[in-house]
Amino acid sequence: MKDEMVYIRMRHRVQATISQNVKIGDLAQIVANDDVRQLVSVIPIHQVIKEDKKLIVIDVMKVIKAINEKYPNFEVQTMGVAQTIIEVFIKKKSIKPVYFIAVWLLLFIGAGLAVMNFHEDVSMQEVHQKLYEIITGEENPKPLLLQIPYSIGLGLGMILFFNHLFKKRINEEPSPLEVEMFNYQQALDHYVSVHENSESETKINDH
Amino acid sequence: MFPFMKIVKVKRKSMIINYTIAIILGLGGGLAVGAGFVAFLTVLGVIPRLTQLTKTKNYIRFYEWGVIVGAVTGSWISLREPIFRLPSILVVFIGLFAGVFVGLLAAALTEVLNVFPILAKRVGVAEKITYLLMAIVFGKIFGSLFHWIYFVDR
Repeated sequence: MKDEMVYIRMRHRVQATISQNVKIGDLAQIVANDDVRQLVSVIPIHQVIKEDKKLIVIDVMKVIKAINEKYPNFEVQTMGVAQTIIEVFIKKKSIKPVYFIAVWLLLFIGAGLAVMNFHEDVSMQEVHQKLYEIITGEENPKPLLLQIPYSIGLGLGMILFFNHLFKKRINEEPSPLEVEMFNYQQALDHYVSVHENSESETKINDH
Repeated sequence: MFPFMKIVKVKRKSMIINYTIAIILGLGGGLAVGAGFVAFLTVLGVIPRLTQLTKTKNYIRFYEWGVIVGAVTGSWISLREPIFRLPSILVVFIGLFAGVFVGLLAAALTEVLNVFPILAKRVGVAEKITYLLMAIVFGKIFGSLFHWIYFVDR
């Protein structure tokens, strides 16, 4: 008799430590009667061992199977994503400041060089000279009055776009950079959940 | 009828044809460049970003017209080169706004090319990404100033 309904929603990403015994309660949100939920959430699913890769994919089918084996009279309803990615939390290596400084300098010099090349490429100097002459009527080979505000505005525009002034935000919406980071992570997760999941790719005929 | 009248008439006819061709060529070229410019702006998403920051979504029609009027004025100025003789303090504002616009374009381009997420993942500095952003911003400002103040004299 199937009388107890268990609703399960797999979480997207879960962090686990090495030698942790991952239970259903860690992997998914469960909605059921209180005592049923207690029973279900402590069912072990995966023992993280040293040989595991950094990312482990747990399919929802494995969870359903585990519940069915232990409590055949529970009816499981799933919703949401079909896989959870377990990220094994290896002791975090903090990045050396030397590397960080090197990357910082790389970006600094690269950005500066890129903007100089861009100015040369589009003959910005001539355009500025002409613009200065058009507005003021005077000829000026180095119209710094135009060019220094231009340079400051260049940085200002980039800050405006990314909505970041160091830690301070200009308004509350997520910046395009954060959205882009999220999209990238999503794409990585999707790739991992398909390719690292042994259940999702099966060869029917072996040649 | 004098014979040269005929020549003048033929010449006028060919002139009209030439003008027509020139007008069609100019119109076609302008159309292509204008459409390309708008497509470029749309892909980079600078205007949506600005409306999002200033919460002025309702005025987006006016922003479109701002771009159009700006492009037409710019092309007229660059082709005719009029002289206005205005006070030179005005160029400070024009320079600042021009810089902000180019900065927006540069930032949008970096973003479209997806440089940051990959870099942050590879180097593992996802939480310090603001500082990397500042590296690019300062690099742009420094490079630009260096170019105008020192490099152009070499």
